[in-house]
Amino acid sequence: MKKTALVIDLDRCIGCYSCEIACKNENKIDLGVQYNKVFTMGPTGSFPNLEMYYLPAVCQSCKNAPCVEVCPTGASYVDKDGVILVDSKKCIACMSCISACPYGARKFNEKQQYVEKCTMCSHLLNAGDQPACVKVCCAKARFFGDVNDPESKVSKIIKEAGSAARSLPDEGNHPATRYILHDKTAKWQNKKSWTFFENI
Amino acid sequence: MQHFKLNRRDFLKATAVAGTMASAGSLLGGSLVPGAEAATTDDTQIIRTNCRSCTADCGVLAHVKNGRVVKLDGDPDFSRSEGALCVKGLSGIQALYHPNRLKYPLKRVGLRGENKWKRISWEQAIDEIAHKLMEIRAKYGAESVFASTGGGGNPNFNGACRFCDTFDTPNWFEPGAAQCYMPRTLIYGMAYGDNKSYQGTDTSLGDSNGVELYFYNERNAKSLVMWGTAPAYSGPSQAGRVLAENRARGLKTVVIDPRFTPDASKADIWLPIRPGTDVALGLSWVRYIIANKLYDKDFLQRWSNLPYLVNTKTKMMLRGKELFKNADDKTFVVWDTKTNSAKPLPFPYDDNLDPALDGTFTINGEEYKTGFQLLKERAEPWTLQAAGKECWLEPKSIEKAILMFAKDAPSSIALGVATDQTPNSTQAAQVTAVLHILMGYFEKPGVLLQRYEDKGVGGLLRTTKLKSFLSEAQLHKRLGSVEHKGMLHWWIAQPTAILEAMTTGKPYKLKAWLERSGNKLGTVANASAWVEGMKNLDLIVHIFLYPTSFSAYSDYLLPATEWLESDFITASLNKCFSRKAVTHLYETANEAWIWAQIAKRCGELGHENCKRSFDKAQTAPESPYYNTYEEQLDHWTSFFGMTWKEYKDKTPFEFTPMERFRRYYVYKEINPKTGKVKGFNTGTGKVEGYMESLIILGRTGQPFTTYPLPPATKDYDPLPYYLKPSESPDNEVGKEYPLVMTNGRLPFWHHTTLRNIPYLREIKPYAELWVHPADAKKYGISQDDWVQIESMRGKIHARALVTEGIAKGVVYMERFWNPENLDTPTHGWQEMNVNVLSKQTAPFNDLCGTYTLRGYQVKISKAKEAPKGIWTEPKQFEPWMPQVSDKTKTVEI
Ligand code: SF4
Ligand code: SF4
Ligand code: SF4
Ligand code: SF4
Repeated sequence: MKKTALVIDLDRCIGCYSCEIACKNENKIDLGVQYNKVFTMGPTGSFPNLEMYYLPAVCQSCKNAPCVEVCPTGASYVDKDGVILVDSKKCIACMSCISACPYGARKFNEKQQYVEKCTMCSHLLNAGDQPACVKVCCAKARFFGDVNDPESKVSKIIKEAGSAARSLPDEGNHPATRYILHDKTAKWQNKKSWTFFENI
Repeated sequence: MQHFKLNRRDFLKATAVAGTMASAGSLLGGSLVPGAEAATTDDTQIIRTNCRSCTADCGVLAHVKNGRVVKLDGDPDFSRSEGALCVKGLSGIQALYHPNRLKYPLKRVGLRGENKWKRISWEQAIDEIAHKLMEIRAKYGAESVFASTGGGGNPNFNGACRFCDTFDTPNWFEPGAAQCYMPRTLIYGMAYGDNKSYQGTDTSLGDSNGVELYFYNERNAKSLVMWGTAPAYSGPSQAGRVLAENRARGLKTVVIDPRFTPDASKADIWLPIRPGTDVALGLSWVRYIIANKLYDKDFLQRWSNLPYLVNTKTKMMLRGKELFKNADDKTFVVWDTKTNSAKPLPFPYDDNLDPALDGTFTINGEEYKTGFQLLKERAEPWTLQAAGKECWLEPKSIEKAILMFAKDAPSSIALGVATDQTPNSTQAAQVTAVLHILMGYFEKPGVLLQRYEDKGVGGLLRTTKLKSFLSEAQLHKRLGSVEHKGMLHWWIAQPTAILEAMTTGKPYKLKAWLERSGNKLGTVANASAWVEGMKNLDLIVHIFLYPTSFSAYSDYLLPATEWLESDFITASLNKCFSRKAVTHLYETANEAWIWAQIAKRCGELGHENCKRSFDKAQTAPESPYYNTYEEQLDHWTSFFGMTWKEYKDKTPFEFTPMERFRRYYVYKEINPKTGKVKGFNTGTGKVEGYMESLIILGRTGQPFTTYPLPPATKDYDPLPYYLKPSESPDNEVGKEYPLVMTNGRLPFWHHTTLRNIPYLREIKPYAELWVHPADAKKYGISQDDWVQIESMRGKIHARALVTEGIAKGVVYMERFWNPENLDTPTHGWQEMNVNVLSKQTAPFNDLCGTYTLRGYQVKISKAKEAPKGIWTEPKQFEPWMPQVSDKTKTVEI
């Protein structure tokens, strides 16, 4: 089965926020909501021996997505490419998925009264295009593709990075997104849990 | 292709009618917005154009549906950006359709600062402004009219200058210039040569130089020093991205910056220098490189003027003619170590000689030293220890950085704007130019300084000055520029001298200000003093895209086009592109047309120069003014033998083949006219580390002046020297104001632009003060506290970002203003504007008159609360979200 996910090279990422704004433009996202949000990790250490990197936080394309499991109406689903989507018409705003997502990658759209999240720009993928954040990325740090296909570009990048291919903590949800970060750039900040976006 | 056509005659006719229905309203609240116009077509077009949210012109694919821009993608074929766009460019749609754009010419109806306006026609606006200008000219002289321009991606940078030349007033200024880029273009132009029709002739990454780095697959550069530049912040989609590509291919980097920027975090060596002390650091590099013989001796002997003998009394180089018969103008004198005697060195060099680099010699009873010797003596006090102490750096780290620059070769120093913002501005450019000369980092594969031949496409095909129109008597009156003759390079006046004249009426009164840019009050030093001075003016006109704090003090507001509404010639490396007006809103007009119309009307009212400025024969070789912008564009594109329409339809095309564009070692090419090597475009034909040319500039104004000028009060220094910051922790001012303030870019804005973009303000709603944890503790400040920051000139607020990413004793703030407070007594410039604090008074840089925007002293304390009325929550920016506009016109062409 296909599993389309983002792979982000943090050795390259320069924290320019273009992915965040391009995502908001493309998906016409309300003020106060992001599908993709750039976090500054650091600086850590003490002056002048410091480290810092940027972490664009986004849906981690879980292989075992708890948000889909808990959805009572099937509004949250996995599409043919393995992208986790929300069918807004079926969403009853019960918020179960929001509490199920370990990273807080989902948001409630107050105006429209449904839950929203990164769509992997599936409307663009279906038109043969690429996700907005991938196209615009200044440092060419963002890649997307099928992590289940060993021949795909993303699989090769992950393989080549070896132990520098990092993932957010796995609570059985098996995130597919990988962040590439070598120690030379900065040490990966291991945390027990991550919450990017405050839930309601 | 669907395209809006700016037919100026129809435009004026329509507005003349609309103008009769004048209505008063404030600048906020959209009372001037009529209803939406219905869509006319149904297809989406993708139009290749170029951004102008800053000066970098990134390639854009604009998606236009029914005349409305609905989406912006990066253009992968634009070689400098390769499909990337920064957040400023990505804000193009929110900027274009901002509900508070200036839509029509407006005339003030209330008192100044009351913010009450009436819509008028373009005809009325131009007519009234021209009448007033002519009246002021008759009463006070043309020099009492001044103009200014600024950033915000202004493509017609010289528009204000050209108008002033035409009006015969010497006074225009720009808050950048002496504080941004001019010190570098001046010095690199003197050291490396006058290289107008080339790309890559200085090392400013933010100004589309460093072209060699764009060929990153060749992996030619081995290391790079980023000195006071933060490309990931200032230009992520071009220089920032190219640095990422180079680093990914093994480029080693040194970053010299008080802030721990993204580029610093990825650098091999970070030198968090104390702001304002860069020249001391640079001189320590010179000293170390000379002492350890790391320099390129062969290059220095053959291709630099450093072996030339200099008379220690006159400071002038010894001419061959003075000692030897038959020596020509390009023959200088060296000390030949083989014969131990003075020998003429005809251009380019004489293989029989071995010119001494150092030494003191006596010829005919006069003392001479080589330029190299003088340089060595100048740098002598700056040991690594001395520099470490002055610059708050570890000597060991300085040494590592020097070794990377000298040994991981080829290398270069990309010098940014930071050093332009202190009175050491030109000296910093000088010391880095000298470092390139010592290492021979010119025109080699992998170095930044190159002469990529662009035939002037990159710089010349746009509004130019009209220097020949400014009379001799008026040139003499230019404020500040007899003393600071480096300003003649950009043909510009000194901001402080303008402020003085405006405030005190000395040496003469200023009466009218025509200003084209964003918020001047956010960019000039000591903004409060300017607001005081403005009270003495009889006419203030503001030309911009939307109202800013400056507008509140103006009499007329003229709406300029956004980049998505403007046509322009653009280029990337060896290819031509075009910015296209993909739509057009309301009655906005191109700035080039606005200046031309004011000049035209003044001509009709009897201004001879203004009349002449429309006559091609009189302005040649420069362009005349044209009555329409289309004709102006046609004039520019006639360079290619095309009309604008032909040009635009043909783009993108190569204006020169890559192998012609990109050549190494141009100086070694044979000049077919002379049969000799080309050398460099300097007086000596060599790169000039000893800058005698600066002495000549100071005494005469050459090579920039059109008429002889009296000398400056003292000779300019041909070698870099270090001036200690006038406000410093170790002097009197530091006792009361203990912290050093610095400044610098963030990715969200270009100068004072875009503070009204909802998606950007949502990320960065307020100004932050970076402060080291030790200082925060000392002054009782915690993370996210509101802080009051105070200098000798004023006080402001910001929110604390307590971070290790800034040196102890240093604080950092970016320029900020609050458009949400435009309609309040502060007009949005007094809350968090760091330039309320900066210093406009002496000492100035000798050459350029640069004042102090970085490296002055402040004190901080915890504030009770946030400034009144500011927006900090995402939802508050809702009123600024794009709205349906009127007058979006689509015309088939
Ligand atoms: S990150 Fe959250 S929203 Fe995305 S798939 Fe996993 S659980 Fe679902
Ligand atoms: S893939 Fe699309 S929706 Fe997801 S973060 Fe990127 S731009 Fe946003
Ligand atoms: S666009 Fe690319 S470089 Fe910029 S923040 Fe996003 S991932 Fe990083
Ligand atoms: S760097 Fe940004 S603002 Fe400047 S031209 Fe490129 S996209 Fe536009």
